[in-house]
Amino acid sequence: MLDLIWLIPALPLAGAVVNLFFPGPARPGRRLGKAAGWLATALVALGFVLAVAVLLDLLSLPAEERVHVANLFEWISVGTLSVDVALRADPLSITMALVVTGVGSLIHLYAVGYMEHDPRFRTFFAYLNLFVFFMLILVLADNYLLLYLGWEGVGLCSYLLIGFWYERPLASSAAKKAFVTTRIGDAAMLLGIVLIWLHLGTLDFGAVFGERASELTQGAATAISLLLLAGAIGKSAQLPLHVWLPDAMEGPTPVSALIHAATMVTAGVYLVVRSHVLFELSGTALTVVLVVGLVSALYAALASIGQFDLKRALAYSTMSQIGFMFFAAGMRFYTGAMLLLVCHAFYKALLFLTAGNVLHGLHDETDMRRMGGLREQMPVSATWFAIGALSLAGIPPLAGFFAKDQIVGFAATSHRELAWVLASIGAFLSALYIARPLFLTFFGRRRGEERAHEAPGLMQAPLAVLAFLTVVGGLVLGLSAEGGRLAAFLEPAVGPIEHGEAALSEGALVAISVALAVAAVAVAFWIWASGRVDWEAFPERQPELAGWLANAFYLNALYGWLVQHPGKGFGRALTVVDQRVIDGAVNEVGDEVVDASGVAPRIQRGFVRSYALAFLLGAVALLLFLGLRA
Amino acid sequence: MSTPISYFVVVSAMLFAVGTVGVLVRKNALVIFMSVELQLNAVNLALVAFSRMHGNLNGQVLAFFSMVVAAAEVVVGLAIIVTVYRRRQSSNVDDLTVLRG
Amino acid sequence: MEVDQIVFWVFAPISVGSAIAMLLQRNAVHAALFLVVNFFTIAVFYLVLGASFLFAVQIIVYAGAIMVLFLFVIMLLGVDREESLLERLKGQRVVAIALGVGIAVELIVAIRAGIGFATKAPPDFDEVVNRGGNAAAIARVLFREYFFPFEVTSVLLIVAAIAVVVLASRRRQVITRADAARANEREAA
Repeated sequence: MLDLIWLIPALPLAGAVVNLFFPGPARPGRRLGKAAGWLATALVALGFVLAVAVLLDLLSLPAEERVHVANLFEWISVGTLSVDVALRADPLSITMALVVTGVGSLIHLYAVGYMEHDPRFRTFFAYLNLFVFFMLILVLADNYLLLYLGWEGVGLCSYLLIGFWYERPLASSAAKKAFVTTRIGDAAMLLGIVLIWLHLGTLDFGAVFGERASELTQGAATAISLLLLAGAIGKSAQLPLHVWLPDAMEGPTPVSALIHAATMVTAGVYLVVRSHVLFELSGTALTVVLVVGLVSALYAALASIGQFDLKRALAYSTMSQIGFMFFAAGMRFYTGAMLLLVCHAFYKALLFLTAGNVLHGLHDETDMRRMGGLREQMPVSATWFAIGALSLAGIPPLAGFFAKDQIVGFAATSHRELAWVLASIGAFLSALYIARPLFLTFFGRRRGEERAHEAPGLMQAPLAVLAFLTVVGGLVLGLSAEGGRLAAFLEPAVGPIEHGEAALSEGALVAISVALAVAAVAVAFWIWASGRVDWEAFPERQPELAGWLANAFYLNALYGWLVQHPGKGFGRALTVVDQRVIDGAVNEVGDEVVDASGVAPRIQRGFVRSYALAFLLGAVALLLFLGLRA
Repeated sequence: MSTPISYFVVVSAMLFAVGTVGVLVRKNALVIFMSVELQLNAVNLALVAFSRMHGNLNGQVLAFFSMVVAAAEVVVGLAIIVTVYRRRQSSNVDDLTVLRG
Repeated sequence: MEVDQIVFWVFAPISVGSAIAMLLQRNAVHAALFLVVNFFTIAVFYLVLGASFLFAVQIIVYAGAIMVLFLFVIMLLGVDREESLLERLKGQRVVAIALGVGIAVELIVAIRAGIGFATKAPPDFDEVVNRGGNAAAIARVLFREYFFPFEVTSVLLIVAAIAVVVLASRRRQVITRADAARANEREAA
């Protein structure tokens, strides 16, 4: 089975090709119905089954040998550069593949119902399949160049899917923004890959992370790590390349769930964890990862509290959670980062798809100020959202509790007291910012006029599965930081994790963390659901503070000013140059010619006598010349 | 004959110069034509003078032919001037600017 | 002083003077008459230079036929009106006079360089060249060496006569003063 690992990405690729190139109705009609959607879903689900098979094969091997490289064919062989298309099956990659295909297939199933009225139904599933293909290439790649191929591919699909409803100007500009912003990171990442090749002469993971790694100087390792980190920051929407993520919510909700919650944005975390050898060789790179993660987490948490758009609030929440993953990776707690990644995929997808239900029921209303009290009209969705929210908040025994608690606790046990305090604050804010949309949307007084209808069963089924995973996922995968199943599974691939002892006992740490979570949820309930706090008047009473929060500390505007301003100014300058200088020169030449040709008629007035004079002049001159010569 | 030949040729040159100036300065077509005739005569004079100097009659014969051709030319030229005058009712050459660029 | 010298020094100034006078006349008829005087002086020069045949031809053809023709045309067209002194072309007069002087100077210099001012004619011209009289001598050269040009010239005369008849014949339509004025206007635009 291990050698057939190439089937896992190949199936969704085939689905994309079929849906893009073969003739058939684009819109679900009476004959073919939603065949395109079923096909796409089935292929991804099949990929999941195959991934499980590969997992079982891996598990049958002893722990240290759980690495299998399937070399498919030689890709590039130029001079000293030799790169093959090779897929790697090891605990880290298979974990990611399982998440991508598993959660991906559930989201595909949901999308069959959600997008059923869309005229470009088929194209949508083609793009979704294409995305899954590239994502799988990314996580299964055995060398940096193939990973980069997948990296760029998911960027392309993200662009296509964010701008799926391209007639909407907001959507198409959001797609452009996403692409351009991540491009900055991608360019840096490519430089990093080039540096790897320059120093080590190879791009294969096995070689780079194995014996060859010691050939790198600390400076080179730092440079490479920081460049790769730049790419990760772009793709995972961390500060400072995060501005595209909230705008990306213009895309259809399944897209937001799949790409911008569960999979693509976690690619950055995967990259850092995969390259941990390089990061560890450089002392400073990991610190940078830690700081970036922590700062992004806190920033995004505050921004999320200020958002009134449901999806945007969830987008900032994603950014914050990924910040926690980076934070964990920065502390070398890779297994913790991965656990959070997996659990986050479950509950974030659940939250986004439930938001999709709300949008579906309210006919695309996203402003939470016009929601409220929906749990009477949409009880099932309310349940899902509550489960997802409480999981994110870190209420035991849901999955999020285990993941987040371990990370925060690790900060304490690794003697990073300041980080522990900040992370705990972040955890408190996380609970706050996720309980807020829960209460705003489903509790309190109904503020809108429309009657919301619950989503159909087809859309609820995947949500049920995700909810189940959210509930049991933590228990199954990560009961403890040292011994959790996932951690044990991953450790051979990511190296041993050092666990220390904190000043406080583990029980105390857990208690503090849970208390913070519960308190946050209670505060959120009091502010937004109980009706005792007039939160609606907050923007009027404190316009400045509300403005800072709602506009995410005006970073978008700052970027606009920093980049657009000079850009437009440059463009204007160039226009002036083009019009005045270049056109001016050309027109000037034309004018000169016209002027010059105005002179000529003066010679030919038509007076015969002046012609005669000219003759004589010539004759006299000629005679003079001849006379002087002789 | 005791006058040096060159004296005649000098007279011829001066007459030629006067004729040239006449062509350029006068505006009446007929007067211009007369100046041209003056030039022709000056040349004839020079021819005859040189014929005397060289001691043969080639110059005189050439002057003779020149006179004949001049006669024919005057006839045709005057006919042209008459035709032009009929069209334009003016013998002023400055009025003939059709060749204007 | 010999006769020919006296003759020369009398008629040379008359010649040049009449030429310049012709130039300066505003009335076309006066100019024509001065030109006739000039032709007469040139005929005298021919005589002095031993070309008695040409002397006769000059008077008969040039002064007698050509100038008469000129006067006919002048009177026919009524262009004896005074020519205006206004010169429209800037600098034309100045440049023309300068160039005229320039030509004269150049030619005189060339003469001096070529034959010098002192060369006299060979003395035996009348006896050797003009044997039997100038007319007979010219006939001897004309009808032998220059026979072909002679014939061609006679054809030329016939052609010229025909050309004139064609050119000067009136067309059907009468060209009025109004037509001419319009044509003039169109051109001046």
